[in-house]
Amino acid sequence: MRGTSGDGAAEPELGLSLSQVGEYAVISVTGEIDMYTAPQLREAVRQLSSEGRMRVAIDLTPTEFCDSTGLGVLIGARRRLSDSGGSLVVVCANPRIRKLLDLTGLDKVLDVREAVPGE
Amino acid sequence: MNGSKHDRTGGRAEAVTVRFAFTPAAAYVRAARLVAADVAAHAGVATGLLDEVRQAVGEACTRAVLRHRDRGIDDLVRVEFSIGDRFVAKITDNAQDLRARPSSRIGASIGGGEPRASDSDTIEEDTLSEEITLIVLGGLVEDLVVTGPDANGGTTVSMSWPLPGSGSATDH
Repeated sequence: MRGTSGDGAAEPELGLSLSQVGEYAVISVTGEIDMYTAPQLREAVRQLSSEGRMRVAIDLTPTEFCDSTGLGVLIGARRRLSDSGGSLVVVCANPRIRKLLDLTGLDKVLDVREAVPGE
Repeated sequence: MNGSKHDRTGGRAEAVTVRFAFTPAAAYVRAARLVAADVAAHAGVATGLLDEVRQAVGEACTRAVLRHRDRGIDDLVRVEFSIGDRFVAKITDNAQDLRARPSSRIGASIGGGEPRASDSDTIEEDTLSEEITLIVLGGLVEDLVVTGPDANGGTTVSMSWPLPGSGSATDH
């Protein structure tokens, strides 16, 4: 009952694929980011930073849905990476999620771009 | 319950069309938001608003689950959809002590435009998420009312969207 993958029978509706673009490790996210699936994204960022890959881009362009839990993961990832001398780029050309970033003010706090730097 | 748009406490009193409750676990929030969008579509909510309904009900359910989880409450989260002059969604938790602040934008609380936000290190993501839910709801939903904690102990998030033929787009 802790909101992780052990919560229930529903299958995770999240897809994460990793690639490298220039100096950025890119996590491309498909499916839905919510409080059930968000821990997977959080863990993916932690895994990268534990491997010393501190420049991370999270690509939300192909993401179907993102809620506030997903935004919380972005904020946490930015903080952890920044504190370790790295950086987070949020790639998002998806108007629905851009709207979410805009209305929360996170577009001013996070480094939001249309494409991965160097792409 | 039929016929009256608001009761004396300011809440709505349309006949409930769909009512359900779910264990306060993350796995069920998706089901709740999908049901919301489906019921809203059947009610006649404009197609362009269905994403908003889905997002908003998901946010309110997420908030309820977080509130129950933070306080170790296993009670069910209650969800109601009513179809009257407007499509109304109510999400009720059973957790006391409204902690989240329904004001400001997140940016101000995590360091504004500064590239580093070391003063936010102690903020847990879940705590932040509960605050973000209200910020998102406030930005998304024109007709949003958060009440409580009340005699039942929890809070209720009430939201409504216009239906075709309703007299006005907003009544609050």
